[in-house]
Amino acid sequence: MSLTIESTRFGQIEVDPASVVEFPHGMIGFESRRFALVAREPDADFLWLHSVEDPDLALPVTDPRRFFSTYEVELAEEERERLGLPQLTATDIYVTVRASDQLEDFTANLRAPIVISEGRGHQVINQAAEAPLRAPLFGELAEKAADAADRAA
Amino acid sequence: MLIITRRPGEKIVLGDDITVTVMEVSGQTVRLGIDAPKSLPIYREEIWAAVKQENEAAATAGEIPPLPRRPKRA
Repeated sequence: MSLTIESTRFGQIEVDPASVVEFPHGMIGFESRRFALVAREPDADFLWLHSVEDPDLALPVTDPRRFFSTYEVELAEEERERLGLPQLTATDIYVTVRASDQLEDFTANLRAPIVISEGRGHQVINQAAEAPLRAPLFGELAEKAADAADRAA
Repeated sequence: MLIITRRPGEKIVLGDDITVTVMEVSGQTVRLGIDAPKSLPIYREEIWAAVKQENEAAATAGEIPPLPRRPKRA
């Protein structure tokens, strides 16, 4: 049996109830506690963390390792303990994306990633030194493309 | 806002299970010790506010334009 979300953004969407993620403390600033990870196309760069409870609420997210090859999440020991999280390599990590009309203005919040483990989600504070709130998403890729163009020239 | 004067070593209690202790006062800096249920998230306010702002901005995004093709990740 699937679960239907009457999404303001996407219209009616069907999600697998098993894919619903419980956020025991929600996401900072929102009251929703249950979200589904919605992909609009296969192997999409961006997924939508869509509230199951609020048809208006959906946030674009991405796996930061798609864009930032060296991205790491460091948790304060008490936060790891509080969440009962295993080693983070064994979990799914997403970051929220601030979209814009221009790709070069897209940013990702590397400071407060969303860690999903065993059906539970938590937005955590990353203690790593290189974890800006607004990291340009296409900065690193743009640099690589420029390097490749230089080598080809 | 409730305003309470405390000295180092003194505490305030919020409800039945949250205790905030003034550990040390030094110039412009106050060190606080917080005893709260493990499940309760505790944030420095400026981080909390900044993340809230980013979350809200993310949720108000318009359509996401198609991405340029790029090499598969290694």
